[in-house]
Amino acid sequence: MDSKNIRNFSIIAHIDHGKSTLADRILEITGAVSEREMVDQVLDSMDLERERGITIKLNAVSLNYTYQNEEFLLNLIDTPGHVDFSYEVSRSLAACEGALLIVDATQGIEAQTLANLYLAMSNDLTIIPVINKIDLPNALVPKVKEELKKVLGFKEEEILLCSGKTGEGVKELLDAIVERIPCPKKMDDKPLKALIFDSYFDSYKGVVGLIKVEEGILKKKDIIYMMGSKSSYEVTELFVHTPKECKKDSLKSGEVGYFAAAIKDISTVQVGDTITLQNEKALEPIHGYQPMKPMVYSGIFPIEPNKYEALKEAFQKLKLNDAALSIEPENSDALGFGFRVGFLGLLHMDIITTRIEREFGLSVITTSPSVIYKVLLTNGETIEVDSPNKMPDSVKISKIEEPYIYTNIIVPSLYIGSIMDLCQNKRGIYKSLEYIDDTRVNIHYEIPLSEIVYDFFDKLKSYTKGYASLDYEICGYKESQLVKMNILLNGEVVDALSIIVHKDFAYQRGKKIVEKLRTLIPRGLFQIPIQAQIGSKVIARETIPAMRKNVLAKCYGGDVTRKRKLLEKQKEGKKKMKQIGNVEVPKEAFLSILSEE
Amino acid sequence: MSKAVYIHIPFCKTICSYCDFCKVFYFPKWSHEYLIKLKEEIEDAYLGEEISTIYIGGGTPSSLSLKELEYLLHLTKIFKTTPSLEFTFECNIEDINEDFLKVLKKYHVNRLSIGIQSFIERNQILLGREHTFEDAKNKMKLLRQYGFQNVNLDLIYAIPKETMKDLKKDLELFLKLKPDHISTYSLIIEDHTILKRNRINPISEELDREMYDYLSKTLKKKKYIHYEVSNYALKGKESRHNLTYWNNEEYYGFGLSSSGYMDGVRYTNTKNILKYLNGNRKGESEILSIQDQMENEVMLGLRKLKGISLEDFEKKYQIPFEKAFPLKPLLKNKELQVKKGYVFIPEDKIYIMNEILAKMI
Repeated sequence: MDSKNIRNFSIIAHIDHGKSTLADRILEITGAVSEREMVDQVLDSMDLERERGITIKLNAVSLNYTYQNEEFLLNLIDTPGHVDFSYEVSRSLAACEGALLIVDATQGIEAQTLANLYLAMSNDLTIIPVINKIDLPNALVPKVKEELKKVLGFKEEEILLCSGKTGEGVKELLDAIVERIPCPKKMDDKPLKALIFDSYFDSYKGVVGLIKVEEGILKKKDIIYMMGSKSSYEVTELFVHTPKECKKDSLKSGEVGYFAAAIKDISTVQVGDTITLQNEKALEPIHGYQPMKPMVYSGIFPIEPNKYEALKEAFQKLKLNDAALSIEPENSDALGFGFRVGFLGLLHMDIITTRIEREFGLSVITTSPSVIYKVLLTNGETIEVDSPNKMPDSVKISKIEEPYIYTNIIVPSLYIGSIMDLCQNKRGIYKSLEYIDDTRVNIHYEIPLSEIVYDFFDKLKSYTKGYASLDYEICGYKESQLVKMNILLNGEVVDALSIIVHKDFAYQRGKKIVEKLRTLIPRGLFQIPIQAQIGSKVIARETIPAMRKNVLAKCYGGDVTRKRKLLEKQKEGKKKMKQIGNVEVPKEAFLSILSEE
Repeated sequence: MSKAVYIHIPFCKTICSYCDFCKVFYFPKWSHEYLIKLKEEIEDAYLGEEISTIYIGGGTPSSLSLKELEYLLHLTKIFKTTPSLEFTFECNIEDINEDFLKVLKKYHVNRLSIGIQSFIERNQILLGREHTFEDAKNKMKLLRQYGFQNVNLDLIYAIPKETMKDLKKDLELFLKLKPDHISTYSLIIEDHTILKRNRINPISEELDREMYDYLSKTLKKKKYIHYEVSNYALKGKESRHNLTYWNNEEYYGFGLSSSGYMDGVRYTNTKNILKYLNGNRKGESEILSIQDQMENEVMLGLRKLKGISLEDFEKKYQIPFEKAFPLKPLLKNKELQVKKGYVFIPEDKIYIMNEILAKMI
């Protein structure tokens, strides 16, 4: 197909604003998926995505659409909506010429909408504003229109109205995509340049890359050359998703599709790299984008020590289509061999650990996440510390700096007071506040990232009955009075439980942690003291009393089989615990440090 | 080797709030038919081995009419019994009278197990039982007159709202009745019981343990031997029938919901009274591997304070105990001990024995 008949676009939206439902409707109207095949949220192919109603991985689907008797190919590149995954968003936006900005008619603009919109605008994309869910009785179309005009500067006539649920306005939306979004530049006659913007591992095909051909043509059996990793392969397969897999002989400039080249070594296919031809190399790679840096680091350890290699392999596979994941080996006295893993945020961490457990069948312990601290030593050297256990001795430290974020918290003005309270308690520095309209505000604070990691989202929700939305960006490092706090079980420091905490909050945090551990760690044969310690000073202490009763009081002839099963169940429960010295610690205990409840 | 026989009589005149055993209201049409089916089952299944103990339990076996009782006991004549037969009959204290005792005597019942549970009024209300100490005293006197020399009383403690003072009073009354054997059960609020439905909360783990220690200490002073987790007996009055279970030996189970253990197979009859009355008594059964058998041996054998004979174990399974189970680390932590050829859990840890068993099986 001629590139003038191709449109590459993505959809950007806040979670729950109906993006996936709208995408489903688009698939249905373009006939890509028959009604019979329709499962809710076709694009969200991971079980995890459907379950949680969120999109994690981006996906690309090619759709045929007839506009004024002319055939068009619409490439829809799906994007995640959560702040943790804005990196994925920037990847998909790099492959598009336009984007639909979806706003929920009942909710209005939210923090994420803004963040993604700014990303799209900085990529010079054409934006089509769409108010979705207009079928709902509580839809406030005129109000949301005003927001779009006032805050984002759209014109009244640009704004489209639709309902992903009923299909109303979706046809007009498709027409607008064809009319307003520019076609990709046609450059078939130039040497091949294609951008890899996602990849995954398929056990039959090997590594599969999702690419956008910027210049030239990529054909089956071409010998390709990856400009970054400097490796060559013969293309074995080209295909697109419609969303069913559909084989192609070539991908031309402007087209988006998948390639396979019997690649087994997953490290040679790097997201962001440029593909060209071995015999006719392009002169320069496509201007890539900076891979996003992990924000929080956690230790991940297999519960069963002999599963270390299996865990390593699992991480390698996940890393393949998750460029933001950073992994290095870590050794803990308490938990043995595992990995120090960098994540974009807490949701990202949750998703990765869940995938490891589900897709690879591994049971893992995750330790409390840490941000990256910049530590200036007394000898003048500055080091970066991503784990409490790498923090040098306090006498060697001259100062510690921690990362701060700048927030967009969008909330009904009713909750301004609560938000300010919350942010002050999180060591926030007030910056400014803007009214979006008469009833909603955007509040800006600078807050230490470590405080966001520690139950900020939960608190934000409960302080505002779920009405607040948060987005943030790192705004730099600031000096803080931080100390390392150790937790001792039965008199022994458990390295996996250590955290870095602000001096003024240490006593309160220590007290909460030991209280929580007391409720989580089951009684054992001996009494177990739990202590929180800074330096050599114990700041909080609790004791788990010894177990007093654990017996089948009666056991006669009729009970044998039943009691045996009970005992086996008890034994199964023990397997889910980590033995540290004489103490059995359930895996939740290692993350208990994260929340106060 | 001689075998044991358990016969289940599921009928009760009242249903106790804590009971999760298989029971149905007494109803003459059913009890009559039930005894006929029971006879069929015994005649079908019994292979003629020597029988050294018989235990008739329930339910409430004493809820049967005298005529039914005669019929039931007459059935047991089929068994080829050893001269030292221990023959136990479970009864409610209010069902004991001269005619009843005469029938039991006639058929050589020589051990009675009486479900008293508690004399404390608040406990009785909660458990759904009713009898006075005076009544119990008179009945004990009567049965002694009839020559019953081996009597067990059941005592339940750790009843919601029970205090140490209540328990001390209760035990004092029990001891006044001079039983030969006392079974003490800490109340477990089981699923499918009235207590569970009423959402009654159990007492604290600490108080439960304190009560257990008090019972064990006091009964020992009164010359009762603590021979199993929950059982105490005067010398020579240990329940030989129940020891069959704890020694992991074989036994027949007859009647609704009864379990048996024969030739390495553990089986349980149907729990559905209508099925049983239709002659459809089969329930579940499980063939035990040698490993299962050894693990059961440990689970059951370590309930006895005397423990498991290392020599007998090796003879039975052709493998030394310490090769079958991790003995050394447990000995080191004093979770197990070995003395005079027996391996056992020390008395101060018997009340947390599941914790130890979970490390072994």
